[in-house]
Amino acid sequence: MSHSAAHAHEAPTSTGIDHKKLIMWLFLASDCMFFGTLISTHLLYRKLYPTGFTDAEGHQQFVQKLFDIELTSFSTFILLMSSFLMALAVSAMHKGGQLKSFRRNVLGVIVFGLIFLGCQVYEFTHFYHQGLTVQNSVFGSTFYVLTGTHGTHVAIGVLWLVLLYFYSFTGKLGGHVGALDVEVAGLYWHFVDIVWIIIFTAVYLVEYLGPDGIWGNGLPPVPGVTR
Amino acid sequence: MSHAAAHEAPDPALLAEEARRYHHFITLALWLAVVTGIEIVLIYLPLSAGILLTTLSLLSAGKFFAVILWFMHLIYDKRLLFWLFMSGLVLAFATFAAMILLFDSDRVDTKWFG
Repeated sequence: MSHSAAHAHEAPTSTGIDHKKLIMWLFLASDCMFFGTLISTHLLYRKLYPTGFTDAEGHQQFVQKLFDIELTSFSTFILLMSSFLMALAVSAMHKGGQLKSFRRNVLGVIVFGLIFLGCQVYEFTHFYHQGLTVQNSVFGSTFYVLTGTHGTHVAIGVLWLVLLYFYSFTGKLGGHVGALDVEVAGLYWHFVDIVWIIIFTAVYLVEYLGPDGIWGNGLPPVPGVTR
Repeated sequence: MSHAAAHEAPDPALLAEEARRYHHFITLALWLAVVTGIEIVLIYLPLSAGILLTTLSLLSAGKFFAVILWFMHLIYDKRLLFWLFMSGLVLAFATFAAMILLFDSDRVDTKWFG
């Protein structure tokens, strides 16, 4: 941004940053630590207990065979594109409150968010029928807690955007304050996206490294056989 | 919000800046889609786990920082916001590193369990 343009919109606060925006960034920094511990816990327990999980019939199941990477890749793509639409919605508000453009883009974000949630519900249901529950394994506990917490964040984001969408029809969402409100909601949505970028790699993709995944299959090593 | 404020004329410099960002957003969205595609292709290639893990980690870190810098406007905003977020990120990564090192099962002295 040019210096004059940046200076013209500097907030009249001691930091020069709007308080709403500053508080949102503080919240995101704390949420970063929250997800950091959840992801760490999942990876740590995957390392300590590499043997996937045992289903209701007592059969050993392996995580690599459980995951559907095509579906998860589709969800990831959807979430990335929703972030792009959110950036366009924020941009529309910064251009002097172009409400039509804002509504069109934010509606796209809401639809993409709902598709992502639908994919997650389908995935959870499928995993449950395959025998993976929160109680029956360490993997189940950490996986459901981590991805479920992220899904809850997405659901809150969708709800927030739906409220903003309807609020835009009241005529009160305009000017600098309206643009700031949309920008803060956008920051939250982008954060949900970046958390998924990490989860996609750290939870899903790493399971596909090597014939038994990066964690191995938990079986004792066979002499002369390199896995 | 007053009715007049809702329809205030935007600064022409800001409009020009937003038009420039618009192109950045489109380019970035395309790159993010391409990088995600590369990640998926990579896991099917017969490469060693170490190389794959390093590549996937770097690609995902690249996507992460691209989103926070451009989509979340950190590259355009005040530096304070960047360091504020980085403080949370560094603490999260430090927690991860500490836990992995602390519970590294390969380094547990098993002679005490026999």
